Amino acid sequence: MLLDATDLCFYLNGMPTHKKDQINEKIFSKKQLADIEKKHRAETEKISKLLFKRDLELRKINEALDEKINQLEKSNGKLEDTKDILEIRLNAKTRQLREMIDGLDQEVRVRTRKLEDSQKALLNILDDYRIEKNISQAEKEKTIAIIKNMSDGILIFNNKNVLTAVNEMAIKFLNLGKIEESTYRKKNVSDLIKIKSFKSVLDIVGSEIKNVFREELKIGDKDEFIEVSVSPILINDKQIGKFIILHDISREKKVQALKTEFVSIAAHQLRTPLSAIKWTLTALIDGDFGDLEEKQLTYLKKANVSNERMIELVNDLLNLSRIEEGRYISKLEPTQIEDLVNAVIEEESLRCKKKEVRIIFKEDASLPKVQIDKEKIKLVIQNLIENALNYCFPKTDINVNLSHDKKKKELEFRVTNQGIGIPKEAQERMFNKFFRAANAVKTETVGSGLGLFINKNIIESHNGTIWFTSQEGKDTSFYFKLPTTKVKVV
Amino acid sequence: MKKRILVIEDEEILLSLIKKKLMSKGYDVCTATNGEDGFRLIEKEKPDLILLDIIMPVLDGFEVMEKMNQTSDLSLDKIPVIIISNSGQPVEIERAMNMGIKDYLIKTDFDPDEVLAKIEKQF
Repeated sequence: MLLDATDLCFYLNGMPTHKKDQINEKIFSKKQLADIEKKHRAETEKISKLLFKRDLELRKINEALDEKINQLEKSNGKLEDTKDILEIRLNAKTRQLREMIDGLDQEVRVRTRKLEDSQKALLNILDDYRIEKNISQAEKEKTIAIIKNMSDGILIFNNKNVLTAVNEMAIKFLNLGKIEESTYRKKNVSDLIKIKSFKSVLDIVGSEIKNVFREELKIGDKDEFIEVSVSPILINDKQIGKFIILHDISREKKVQALKTEFVSIAAHQLRTPLSAIKWTLTALIDGDFGDLEEKQLTYLKKANVSNERMIELVNDLLNLSRIEEGRYISKLEPTQIEDLVNAVIEEESLRCKKKEVRIIFKEDASLPKVQIDKEKIKLVIQNLIENALNYCFPKTDINVNLSHDKKKKELEFRVTNQGIGIPKEAQERMFNKFFRAANAVKTETVGSGLGLFINKNIIESHNGTIWFTSQEGKDTSFYFKLPTTKVKVV
Repeated sequence: MKKRILVIEDEEILLSLIKKKLMSKGYDVCTATNGEDGFRLIEKEKPDLILLDIIMPVLDGFEVMEKMNQTSDLSLDKIPVIIISNSGQPVEIERAMNMGIKDYLIKTDFDPDEVLAKIEKQF
């Protein structure tokens, strides 16, 4: 077999050294052997170097692998942690969701219960509504029955002034029985006014059915009287129509006439002897029957004062009989109060002269007219001015003032005198019936103790107020205030 | 010329007192104690003023005034009338005022001097 040197080297390298040497010596010359050895060494060196390099690379790879393994281990740890956290979170979420579901379940149960309750309540309301409806139906029927059977006549109009209902009494008062219902039912005021039976009432209220209050109307041929009033029909402040009320006052009128007659006779009977005494005494005192001795004169004057006291008492009693009649404030009419004051001052002029007292009257410019019962307010003014005159010192001034408070819509009357005044302990009882202060009783002046009581009743019936201020032995002021707006009779 | 005043009053003492007072002031005075006699005197005497009571026998004061209003002698209706009464309810005063009287005096509230002053105002 033929081997090249390189193959041979390989071949030899695998052999034990002594064998190798033996072979080498036999095959190759020494030089050849040296070359081969040299070559072999170079190769070995090269291989060693290569091996070393490979070893280095392997070590690096190993290191890198180690690092990678490390990293992986670390990541693995982190992943484990994350997994734990996620597990915890998941558990929490799961718990939360479970709780939520439980809560929702609860809520659903509550809601269901509530709905059931609401349903029950609704059913109850429905029941109540049915009951109420029945009640209101019954009430409605009752109201209609009341209106139908009322002792007052009622005419009901809608907002267009169309007559929508008439009750039995209205038919009787207006004598509508003789005419066809169709001629007036659902007819407008402008048509109704042409019907004779309606004319007298509609003349009072007018085509617009204005609000009137207790307007008197004579009906029929006999002494029959009714009072006509108009009231708006309001539902929650909204007007849905008007009704005219016809109230029978024939009996009241008869009683009133009887009462007037009775009071007239009583007044006549009571006053006739008093006036006879008064006129006789004044004639005697004035010397109409010749001169009298001083002592005679003194006693006659005393008798006269007693008589005056009796007259005053009768006057007050007669006023009282009217005041306690209930319908004391009978007729309100627009009045200039200053006219009443002037009339009273005029009437008192003689007495003023006797006592040498001046009445000074001051009034605001352009005082408004006030809705009052003229006679009664005059009575109050007269009473207050007479009191001022009775209890003032001679030769003093009485000041009367009348002022208008435009803002408050009030008229104030004041009368001030300088005189005996009202003691403190008496002030509370001044408006009591039959009360007279001790210092007033001691003076010679007459008085029944009814005047202020009557005044208070009259002023309060006009929605007014009355009061006074006083200093005993010095002065007294009496005041009253009346609203200038339309007075509602109390 | 003397003014003639007719006093129609059923209370004789009052009648004599006012008559005396009026005469002392120079008036010509005639008197009657009931409405009927009074109306007869109104027609006959045609006085310048009448003092008339209300509550009287036969004819009362209102009836006298009604007769004065209704009679054919229109001059009677123009005679001024002052009422002297012991009853003076607002309804009565209003009724008399509507009949055209000049004044309404309550006898207990006016003495003869004051009545005289009211009469003098009319002339």
